[in-house]
Amino acid sequence: MPDTMLNMTVNGRKVAKPINGQYRLLDFLREEVHLTGAKEGCGAGECGTCSVFVDGKLVKSCLMPTAKADGAEIQTVEGLAGRGELTALQQAFHKTGASQCGYCIPGMVMAATSALRENPYADIEEIKERLGGNICRCTGYTKIFEAVELARDVMNGRLPATALDPDGAGESYIGNNVRRLDAPSKVSGALKYAGDMVMQDMLHMQVLRSPHPHARIVSIDTSAAEALEGVECVITHKDVPGKDGFGVFVHDQPVMARDKVRYVGEAVAAVSAETHEIARRALALIKVEYEELPGVFDPEEAMQPGAVVVHDYAQDNVVKHIPIRKGDVEAGFAAADIIVENSYSTQQVEHAYLEPEAGLAYVDHDGVVTVVSPSQNITHHRHMLSTIIDKPINKVRFIMSPVGGGFGGKEDMIYQGMLALTAMKTGRPVRLVFTREESILSTAKRHPSRVTYKMGLKNDGRITAVSFRMISDGGAYGMSTEGVMRKAAILSLGPYDLANVEIDTYGIYTNNTPSGAFRTFGAMQAQFATESHLDICAEKLGLDPFEIRRRNMMKIGSLTHTQQKLETVSIAEVLETAEAFCRWETGAPTSRGATRTDLGGPDTRASCTLGARFRQIVDDKKQEVA
Amino acid sequence: MFTFDHYLCPKDLREALEMIERLPEDGKIIAGATDVVPYAREGRGGDIHFSTIVDLSRVDEFRGYEIAKGKVRLNANVVFQDFLEDDELRAHLPCMPYCAIWFADDQVREQATLAGNIANASPAADGTPPLLAMDAEVEIARLVDGEVRYRTISIDAFVHGPGKTRLEKGELICAVTCRSMKGYGGSFQKVGQRRSLVISKVSAVALVKTSADGRTFEDVRLALGGIGPVPVRLTDIEDMLKGQAITRRLIAEASVIPADRVASRSRVEYRKRVVRGFVEAAIEDALVACGAPMPTEEQREAAHA
Amino acid sequence: MARRARGRGMAASWYGIARTATIDRAGAWVEMDDGGTAKVVTGVTEIGEGILTVLAQIAAEELGVRPEDVTIGDNDTARSPEAAHAGATRQTYMIGNSVAIACRDARVKLDRELADHWQVDAGTIKAFDGEIWAEGTNKRMTVEEAIDLCKKRGVVPVGSGSFTAHGTGLDPVDGSGAPWQAYVFGCQVAEVEVDTLTGEVQVLGMWAVHDVGRAINPRGVEGQIEGGIVQGLGQALMEDYQLDKGHTTTHGFAKYILPTSLDIPQINTKLVEDRDPRSPLGAKGIGEPALVPTAPAIMNAIYDAIGVRITSLPATPEAILKALEEKEAAALQMTG
Ligand SMILES: Cc1cc2nc3c(=O)[nH]c(=O)nc-3n(C[C@H](O)[C@H](O)[C@H](O)COP(=O)(O)OP(=O)(O)OC[C@H]3O[C@@H](n4cnc5c(N)ncnc54)[C@H](O)[C@@H]3O)c2cc1C
Repeated sequence: MPDTMLNMTVNGRKVAKPINGQYRLLDFLREEVHLTGAKEGCGAGECGTCSVFVDGKLVKSCLMPTAKADGAEIQTVEGLAGRGELTALQQAFHKTGASQCGYCIPGMVMAATSALRENPYADIEEIKERLGGNICRCTGYTKIFEAVELARDVMNGRLPATALDPDGAGESYIGNNVRRLDAPSKVSGALKYAGDMVMQDMLHMQVLRSPHPHARIVSIDTSAAEALEGVECVITHKDVPGKDGFGVFVHDQPVMARDKVRYVGEAVAAVSAETHEIARRALALIKVEYEELPGVFDPEEAMQPGAVVVHDYAQDNVVKHIPIRKGDVEAGFAAADIIVENSYSTQQVEHAYLEPEAGLAYVDHDGVVTVVSPSQNITHHRHMLSTIIDKPINKVRFIMSPVGGGFGGKEDMIYQGMLALTAMKTGRPVRLVFTREESILSTAKRHPSRVTYKMGLKNDGRITAVSFRMISDGGAYGMSTEGVMRKAAILSLGPYDLANVEIDTYGIYTNNTPSGAFRTFGAMQAQFATESHLDICAEKLGLDPFEIRRRNMMKIGSLTHTQQKLETVSIAEVLETAEAFCRWETGAPTSRGATRTDLGGPDTRASCTLGARFRQIVDDKKQEVA
Repeated sequence: MFTFDHYLCPKDLREALEMIERLPEDGKIIAGATDVVPYAREGRGGDIHFSTIVDLSRVDEFRGYEIAKGKVRLNANVVFQDFLEDDELRAHLPCMPYCAIWFADDQVREQATLAGNIANASPAADGTPPLLAMDAEVEIARLVDGEVRYRTISIDAFVHGPGKTRLEKGELICAVTCRSMKGYGGSFQKVGQRRSLVISKVSAVALVKTSADGRTFEDVRLALGGIGPVPVRLTDIEDMLKGQAITRRLIAEASVIPADRVASRSRVEYRKRVVRGFVEAAIEDALVACGAPMPTEEQREAAHA
Repeated sequence: MARRARGRGMAASWYGIARTATIDRAGAWVEMDDGGTAKVVTGVTEIGEGILTVLAQIAAEELGVRPEDVTIGDNDTARSPEAAHAGATRQTYMIGNSVAIACRDARVKLDRELADHWQVDAGTIKAFDGEIWAEGTNKRMTVEEAIDLCKKRGVVPVGSGSFTAHGTGLDPVDGSGAPWQAYVFGCQVAEVEVDTLTGEVQVLGMWAVHDVGRAINPRGVEGQIEGGIVQGLGQALMEDYQLDKGHTTTHGFAKYILPTSLDIPQINTKLVEDRDPRSPLGAKGIGEPALVPTAPAIMNAIYDAIGVRITSLPATPEAILKALEEKEAAALQMTG
C-alpha cells in the first residue's frame, strides 16, 4: 500500500500521490496535498471541522480511509472560490460576523454550502438541520444562521448583492459594526493555526501519559523507544535543565511527571520522530514502572484529616481558601423573618474549543528557544519557561498562533515545555498536535462546585444576611485554582447590597483531572447558586423575581461584599431593560408556566421537531393540490 | 490511530467473497467505515492496525434496491441518506425517513450503510427496530468450493447481543429485504441528550395501517431500541391493537405494557418511563401519517385520566 | 399534565473587568505609516473574541484612518510590548485603552508638525476615515499626505501607550479590598419547553441585557453574548465531564455532549452602555460575563414550567424525569 498511487482530483487539480502514511482522507489532504482548510477537531465524525465534498456529497474526511477516495473528485474549502475571491456565502459569513475563533468555520462554510446546494430555498429549520453535524463552540450559531439566510436570499435574488457590502464608516469607527478583519482568512480556510504549520526537517512529537491517578514512578526505561528507527529523541523530567515547575499561581506542576504522577493523563515522557506514526509506535516501547498509590477523588474527603496527600507542600490538600467577612452575620440572621437554606452543585466542564492544543518549537539562528502555540498567556509562559530551561528571558520567545478557541483552557503551559526541551535537545523543529481525546484527558476543566447557602430575609424581600460556602475540586495541580476561588468568592453573592455576609471558598487538591481557568473563573458556579436561591426565596415571599432583586440591588455608593465603594452601577437599568425587552409577566415564581401569557412570542423559536425538509415537501404538495 | 497495510476494493460480489475468504484475523471489512474508523481511537479501541481492509463500497451487486412482490430488497450499500432522499423508498418504507432524520447528520448518513449498522449490532442502533417491524430478512453470501452460496436469516435472529450477529467468517451481508409498507403510516421516536448527532437512549418505531374508514387498526407494527442488549419487537401489543377500534384509551392502555421489556444495565427507570410514552407517541404519529387527525393535548390527557 | 410544558425564568449577574485583586497593565506601540496606514504592535492575538478588529477600530478612530488600513503586528514576546494574557475579560479594556493611548501619543507628533505647517493650533486638528483637517479653516489633506509631510519634516509619527487598571489585593482575614476598577452587570431571561415524556428541555428563547460600557463593535458584543449563552446552555443541560476514580468516561465528543445547531434558542440581545469613567475609551467588557446568568435563568424557567428545581447541573433528560417522579411521589404522599 505505501507505494500504491492514489489518483484524485482536488479542487480541479489532478493529484497522484502514494498514501505515505496518511491513512484518512483528512490527513492526506492536509499533509500530502497541503490543504489545511479542513481541520481535525475530534477525529470521530462528531464535529465537522473536516467536512469536504467527495463526488459532490459532503462527508467528514476524518471518517474516510484515504484509499476510499481513490478516483474521486474532491472539493475543499480552498476550492469554493477563485484565489482571492469569496463566494456569496463566505461574504455573508464575513458580513454577519459568523466567525469567531474560526476553527470550525471552514467546515461550517462547507456544511452551509452543501445545505444551499441541496436546497437553495431551505428555510431556517432545514438549514439548522443541515448544519447539525458541525459544532461551533464560540458563536452560539446565531450569526451563522443569519449568514446562511442572507446568502440564500442573495443567491436567489430575493436580496440585492449589495446586501453583502460592509456598513460603511458612518460618523465614527467606535460603535460601528466593522466587519471582522480576520474573517476572510477564516471563511476561506487560509488562516494557519499551529497544527497547520510545518517547518523544514520538522519532527513529530507524541506524549506518553499516566494511566494511573496516583502512583510513584519507580523507573522509566526509554531505551527501546530510542532504538526504534526514525525516533530522534525521547525526553523525560531528567532533561529539564532548570527549575522545573509551572502553574498560573503556584508552580506545582513539572513539565513531565517527576517522582510521581497525580492524575490520569499527566505527561510522563515525550517521543519525537520522523513521522507521527513512528512516534506513536515508540510510545508503546517506553517502559514505566509505577507503584500505585491510593488516590483521593472527592474534595470533601481530601479535606478530612488523614486523607491521602497529593502535594507534600500542602498537607491539608487546600490549594486556596478565600474568606470574605462583612458586617455581623449572626445579627443579620437574627433580624430575618425567614431563613432559607439549600445546596447547589455544578459539574466539571470541558472547554471543548474546536482546536485541540498544538505547538511548534525551534531554536533559531541566535540560539533563541522559540515556541509557537495558541497560548493565551505568552508573557507568563515566557517567564516560566526561562526558569525551566535556565536561559535568560531574551533567549526565550513565545509566539501566539491564532487561537482556535481558548475560554481559559489555553492559559496553562502544559505542553510548551516539552516542545522547547526537544527542540533544544535535537536542534530540530518539532511539532505536537493533541488528539481530541488527549485534550479532554489532560487539560484543565471548569471547577466543579458544591455550595451550601443560607440566606435570611425580611418579609419585604430585603436580605439581612448570607452565609455562603463553596468547595471546589481543583484536581491534581494548582493551575488557576487560587484565582478562581478568589473571583468566585468576590462575585458569589451577586449584584446585591448586603450588610452582613460570610463567604468561604475552598479549592482542594485531588487526583482528578485538574480544574483551571474557564470563562467566568468561578463566577458562574457561585452565581448559579445565588440566582437559584433568590428565586426560591421569592416564591416563599410571594415576590416577583425581578422585584426581589430590585429590592436588594447595588446602587451608586454601595459597598460591595469586599467593601469597595461603587462609583457607577447599572443593574437597575439592566433589570428594567430586560423586563421590558422580554415582555415579562409579573408574578411570583410559583411554577405558573401553564398560565403565563408572555410565552411563545415572535422573539422565540419554534419547538424543534426534526424533519423540516419533509414538511416542506408536504406543504409543496398541498399547494399543488390547492 | 487507524492504520493498515493493504486496501482492497472489490468490484463485484465474487471478488469480494474471495478476498474475505483470505482475509487474515487482523483484517477488516468496511462499508461506510463510520463505525470502524472512529473506533480506532483512545478511549475506545485505541490504535488499531489492520493488515488488510476490504472496502465493499464499490461492489456492483451491493448498489441500489429493488421493489417487487410486496418486498423491498435493500442492497448492502444503501445508506441512511437514501431513506430521506429517494421517493420510492419513502413510499415503501414510511418509517425510515423519520428514522434517518434522527440518525447522525447529513454527512455521516451519506456514508453509513444499513448493512453496517446491523452488522455492528449496537444496542442503540437505529436501523434495527424498523427492520424488526418490517419483518426484514438478512441475505448473506459466502463461497463454498468456489461457488457463491446464499442463506437468509430473519433480523431478530441475526442480531442476538450487543455487537453479536449470526454472521460467520467468510460471510457478507448482501441485502436486507423487508416487507413493503406502502399505505402504512410510519413514525420513529428517539431521545438522547440533544437533537443532532445523537445516540439513542430509547427509540421506538411504529407502522400502522387503518381500515378504509380509518376507524380500526388493520395492522400495527411496533419495535423498540436502546432498551436492552438487542432491539425488540412488541408483538403482544401489536396483537392487542390489531382489529380493534382506534381509541385514545386503547392506545394509552397498550402503551403502558412494554415498560417491563426494558433490560438495560443503566438508566432503567428513565427508560421505562420513556418507553411508556414513546409507544403511545409512535402509534399516534403513525396514525397522523395515515391521515388521522393529530390528537390534542386535551384528548391525550383525557385518555390518561 | 400536558406532554410539553413551557415556562420562563430570569437571573441577574455582575462581573469585574480585567485581572482580579491586583494591578493590571498592558502596553502597545503605534506607528503612522506610509500610504496613510498604521501599524499597531502589542503582545496579543485573536482568540476569537474579535480583539484584532476592535483594536483596528480604536486605532482607526484615534488616528483618522480606516480599520482596514491598520496592521496589527506581532503577538510575539520578542517583538512586541507586554499585553499579558488573553482572558479575564481584559482585552478590550486593557489593550484597547493602551492602543488608544499609544495612538494619541503618535497623533500628538503628527498634529504638532501639521499645526506648524498650517500655522494653526494643534488642538483644532481632527482626522477621520483617511482625511485630516483643521477645524474652522479650509485646511485639509489626506492622512497619507499628512504622514508624508510629517516625515519630510524629519519626524516619524510613532507612539507608545501603557494602561493601568488599579485593583488592590484582598485582606487575608476579611477579604476587604477593591479588586477591580470597573464592573459590569447583566440579566438574562430564558423561555423553555420541557418534554415531560422524555425529560428533554428545549430553550426556545433567551433575552440578554448586558452593560458592556461603551460598545466598540456592537455586533461583536452580540456574538460574545450569543456564544456565552450557548456555552451556558451546554453546561445547564448536557455537558458533563465525568470521572470514575480519576479515569474519564467521557473521552471524546461522542460522550462529551455539546450543543448543536438544533439545541439553541433564539437569542435576543440588548446592550446597556454605562461608560467606564476611569479609562479613555469608556468601554468595559463582555467575554466572560455573558454566560454567568444563563444556567440559573434556565433552571428557574424549568421550575416555572414543571415545578421541579434542579440544583445540581446538568439538567439532563434523566435528571428532569427523576425530579418529576420525586415530585409526583411527594404529591401522592400528600394526598394518599
Ligand atoms: C458521528 C456519528 C454519528 C452516528 N450516529 C448514529 C446514529 O444516530 N444511529 C446509529 O444507529 N448509528 C450511528 N452511528 C454509527 C454508524 O454510523 C452506523 O452504525 C452505520 O450504519 C455503520 O455503517 P457503515 O457502513 O459506516 O459501517 P462500517 O463502519 O463500514 O462497518 C461496521 C461493521 O459492519 C461490518 N460490515 C459492513 N458492511 C458489511 C457487509 N456488507 N457484510 C458484512 N459485514 C459488514 C463491518 O465489518 C463492521 O464490523 C454514528 C456514527 C458516527 C461516527
